[in-house]
Amino acid sequence: MAEERLPYPEKTVAQQAVLTTAAGGTAEEAELMVGGIGQFPRAEKPVRRRSFGRWFADTGWRHLIAVVVSLFAIFPLLYVLSASLNSNGTLIGSNRLFGEFSFDSYVRMLTNPDVPYPMWFLNTMIVAVVTGFTMVFIGALAAYAFSRMRFAGRRVGLITIVVVQMFPQLLAVVAIFLMMTAIGDWFPAIGLNTLSGLILIYLGGALGVNTYLMYGFFNTIPKELDEAAKIDGAGHARIFFTIILRLVAPILAVVGLLAFIGIVNEYVIASVMLIDPDKKTLVVGLTQLVSNPRYADWSAFSAGAVMAAIPVVVLFLLLQKYIVGGLTAGATKG
Amino acid sequence: MKVNKKSWLAIGGIAVASIILAGCSSSNASDDSSKDDAATTLTVWVDTERVDAMKGAVEAYEDKTGVTVKLVGKDNGKIKDDFIQQVPTGKGPDVVMGAHDWLGELSTNGVVAPIELGDSADDYLPVALQASTYEGTTYMLPYAVENIAILRNADLIPEAATSFDDMIAKGKAAGLETPFVVEQGVEGNPYHLYPFQTAFGAPVFGTDAEGNYDPTDLQIGNEGGFQFATWLGAQGAAGNFNTDITGDIAKTKFTTGEAAFWLTGPWNVSAATDAGINVAIDAVPSPTGEVASPFAGVKGFFVSSESKNKVAANDFLVNYIGTEDVQLDLFKAGNVLPALKVAADTAASDPIIAGFQKVGADAVPMPAIPAMGAVWQYWGIAEAAIINGEDPTATWQKLTDDVSAAITK
Amino acid sequence: MTDTVTTEAADKAPPQTPKQRSAARIADAAGGKLRWLVLKIVLLAIVDAIAVYAVFVLLAHGEWLVLSLVAAVTILVNWIYFSRKAIPAKYLTPGIILLVVFQIFTLSYTAYIGFTNYGTGHNGTKDQAISSLMSSSLVRVEDSPTYDVTVVERFNELGLLVTDPTDGDVSLGTNTQPLEPVDIASDGTVDGWTSLSFADVLQRSDEVEALAVPYSDDPNDGAIRTQDGQKGYLYVSTLDYDPVADTMTDTTTGTVYTDTGSGAFTSETGEQLLPGWQVFVGFDNFVRAVTDASIRGPLLAVTAWTFVFAIVSVASTFFLGLLLALVFQNKRMRFKNGYRSMLILPYAFPAFLSALIWAGMMNKSFGFINQVLLGGAEIPWLTDPWLAKISILIVNLWLGFPYMFLVCMGALQGIPEEVNEAGVMDGANPWQIFRRIKLPLLLVTVSPLLIASFAFNFNNFNLIYMLTGGGPRFTDVSIPVGQTDILISMVYKVAFTGQNRDYGLAAAFSILIFIVVAVISIISFRKTKALEELN
Repeated sequence: MAEERLPYPEKTVAQQAVLTTAAGGTAEEAELMVGGIGQFPRAEKPVRRRSFGRWFADTGWRHLIAVVVSLFAIFPLLYVLSASLNSNGTLIGSNRLFGEFSFDSYVRMLTNPDVPYPMWFLNTMIVAVVTGFTMVFIGALAAYAFSRMRFAGRRVGLITIVVVQMFPQLLAVVAIFLMMTAIGDWFPAIGLNTLSGLILIYLGGALGVNTYLMYGFFNTIPKELDEAAKIDGAGHARIFFTIILRLVAPILAVVGLLAFIGIVNEYVIASVMLIDPDKKTLVVGLTQLVSNPRYADWSAFSAGAVMAAIPVVVLFLLLQKYIVGGLTAGATKG
Repeated sequence: MKVNKKSWLAIGGIAVASIILAGCSSSNASDDSSKDDAATTLTVWVDTERVDAMKGAVEAYEDKTGVTVKLVGKDNGKIKDDFIQQVPTGKGPDVVMGAHDWLGELSTNGVVAPIELGDSADDYLPVALQASTYEGTTYMLPYAVENIAILRNADLIPEAATSFDDMIAKGKAAGLETPFVVEQGVEGNPYHLYPFQTAFGAPVFGTDAEGNYDPTDLQIGNEGGFQFATWLGAQGAAGNFNTDITGDIAKTKFTTGEAAFWLTGPWNVSAATDAGINVAIDAVPSPTGEVASPFAGVKGFFVSSESKNKVAANDFLVNYIGTEDVQLDLFKAGNVLPALKVAADTAASDPIIAGFQKVGADAVPMPAIPAMGAVWQYWGIAEAAIINGEDPTATWQKLTDDVSAAITK
Repeated sequence: MTDTVTTEAADKAPPQTPKQRSAARIADAAGGKLRWLVLKIVLLAIVDAIAVYAVFVLLAHGEWLVLSLVAAVTILVNWIYFSRKAIPAKYLTPGIILLVVFQIFTLSYTAYIGFTNYGTGHNGTKDQAISSLMSSSLVRVEDSPTYDVTVVERFNELGLLVTDPTDGDVSLGTNTQPLEPVDIASDGTVDGWTSLSFADVLQRSDEVEALAVPYSDDPNDGAIRTQDGQKGYLYVSTLDYDPVADTMTDTTTGTVYTDTGSGAFTSETGEQLLPGWQVFVGFDNFVRAVTDASIRGPLLAVTAWTFVFAIVSVASTFFLGLLLALVFQNKRMRFKNGYRSMLILPYAFPAFLSALIWAGMMNKSFGFINQVLLGGAEIPWLTDPWLAKISILIVNLWLGFPYMFLVCMGALQGIPEEVNEAGVMDGANPWQIFRRIKLPLLLVTVSPLLIASFAFNFNNFNLIYMLTGGGPRFTDVSIPVGQTDILISMVYKVAFTGQNRDYGLAAAFSILIFIVVAVISIISFRKTKALEELN
């Protein structure tokens, strides 16, 4: 079967390292093994002598592109920052950015008893972290099954779970309200106005495009690794947990981050489910501040949005080393 | 074999655990299911920015009658749709805060119950009462009447303008490039331009003997309407109306002193006064000499038709919210003229509110009939096109045709 | 070759004596395998306990359908995890259960609505419509005063004690017994009847609401009702409901409205009494969706733009994301983390906020781009037909490239470095290596994402709505559709015209659009399968 023939049989550096460790080796042994296949840095030319031209050809142009695109990415957000520091202003009424400078709005957001921002923050973190982890786990389980096992309806199933997610969510609000009120009647703990209910709804989308993405990545891991492990006596579960999971860390980190961000910013379903002010998530709570254009408090909203973006960036930086780093020091890909 | 023994162990363990858990929880469940309806609970949906104002009133009511009132703050953009969707499920609120122009839609969907104001009907401002009634039945308990007026920077322009041209002239004389701002937007803003339209004698719909709007009598395309369109085109060309001016931009221009006349509503007064502007309220200067009547929007409370506590809801609304104290509480939060006459008089001791009230005397309620929805769809775009230079007559004619077609569909 | 592996793999170590073998087995089981087994049992025990609890609760509520579903699923789950055979199922079960319960339901609900006339005027059930019509049809009798009433009770039947303010007369009546004068005792009560306290009235609110005491034997005189248990008013009803004939009769005009099956009481002339109720309308909505004359005009233009928008969005975000991921694949480059953090910031802020800011920046007369960047130009970014489309693509690029950037970063890790070396050894330059080797490998992993992104943007209603509202309107069309409207936003405008929300029609439209998108996606997936095989 063509699908079984993976594109490239050679093991990557990381795979070899994991295999060594999984087979019981130590980190040093892994490094030694890695050394044979991976690349050592070439004999370094004296750094001081590199001319500007070489530097530019090598890294300078990268900096140029990075700076240009970063500017493109940030400058609309400067409006948000500026509005958050201007406690009486509008969002886009004036082009004089950073005209005023006061932390009033931040203080207001954190201390106003009617606006329980810290609660919202906590709720969002709970929902996003729990859902993120679980989504990644469930997705990885499914991706492993799709990738490593052959069963009836495999290909169809894979496509189905992606296509199902394409269904327009036009009446999702009504449907979810109906369903969760019914469930809430029977099991109040997971019904309307609960974080657990919200988490469950989000987990309904755990199998989706992300699973396919993981499936694709799982396919890049050579089957030979599996077979070697089986020869050593490992069962399918053991292979999954000890070998595969470590090798697919980059894609797990990516999917986890994407899921986290998606859930932090999800508005429609959260606004249906969460009614009490104390239960709301950040986006729902903040949006209410500006939902009435006549009484919109853009400054407070901006302050809230800026503070809400921080965990996302922090999480990204934390997951960086899984996404682009290697598994042993120095064994980077590039 | 080991596996089988383990399975038996497993099954046994599961059985024991389940029975214990189930036992505990079903006793809990039966406790919950025998709900004690000792206290009636009223669920009231309000706009998030009004929750504070209602809290005081609600506590006093709870003390007085023992009815528990649950205040839920809802998103202003979704409160109407959520209400309509949730009422038939039986899980909706008992009372909802809203605006009178919802009435057509609410009544068509059968989600509101009539309220009887009884003798207290005379205690409300006439426009409030008229707006609360739809097809002869009263559905709403009004608490505020709002309309737009001209905010004038009294430091820059000490005297009120007598006509539209006079207003522009006064502003230019004071050295301002944009003397007059009004919130527009790419799709136009007919709500704010309405007083100019009525000044030309072109209301949207004609009214019958009782003052109800008649959906079959579309007046927007009468002769006055075309005159208005022509005037609007001229003013747009002169730069007095600009569809690029959004609400934020208008606010910034007025608060920084770039504009001296701002056509807006009471919700923006605090932004102006906070910025240090000496605000005076004037009537909308008419371009023709006839009165320029803005729309009046009346805010009030509705009772859900599926409410299980209509008696409590009616008592809460008519006998409680309809009292001077509560109306003044709500006034303090939103700064909009109360609907109860005595409360309105008290509030009008503030000259700004008095100014809005004076303009409001000429205001006409926004039509609540379903046909109005068809008008909103095309109206703003047509006006925006005219301001930006499209042929006024042709555009206005298309507007009239489109709206007629949409109404009869 | 079968991939299914049993948990008790045959021991392939060098031959041992039977004793050693069984000892090894025990040691083994005592080690990892036992741990796994215990864990599995504990988890299953928890699941089963929850299921049993759920069954009890559902039993108490009498929900037989859900109960049987829960039971069936639990038995299935237990079988899957105890059996040694259904290995793929063990991995797929949690995800699939969650998918079916929480996603398939919304899907089926939308599909169901497509076959009904749910919308404005058909909001609830027939009973709700009837009670709403009846209560709205009450009209105060002219010149009738406000009566002071007290709710009284005898033998569990409620009545009203009515005091006429004009002459002080006190009378009493019930739903079946018209008002009759009574004598009141000194404490204000009537013999045999007890007055209800306010709390009692609240308790029996629905009975009190249903109280309509006839004024006299003549029904045309009306009935007295109370809304708050303290004041009563005399009403006459303008509508009369005949439950046997199932008709509504207007007492003032005499028109008879019957239930014609279309979800509302209709007169012979076709006039409908609203509110109506939801009814099943079969394929009506679908037929209307396809044959609606008003959308035919702009349909082609809107469809073309929808495809262009979706494809260009996917392509542009992917290429920018990929470019950035490659740019940062360099060990010597410093400040990478800083750049990367800035680059994912657009993704960390709510999209509607960003859309609002972009709309403000693109304001023709006052926006940042025109005033500051271009020094006072007046370029109509959002109001010119072509520029509006370009603006939408720019903003969507801004919103979407961080996502692609992240994905490409992760996916590039799946490509081993030997590929690079092999290419170098073959004498290829970096560009060729990239184009011939890395890109196809990357596409294999990422192509499902591109397809899904296409589908997402095909239905990306929010962006269009927030940035241009559909953009400069078509001037020659009767529906309020514009140059930047995509299919789904056009559907909204057609189904939700003004105050009229036709959910049934909208659902039908959505299903049709979904079919289009799904077909395209499935075909694309087939192509990527071919791509995999090529490799």
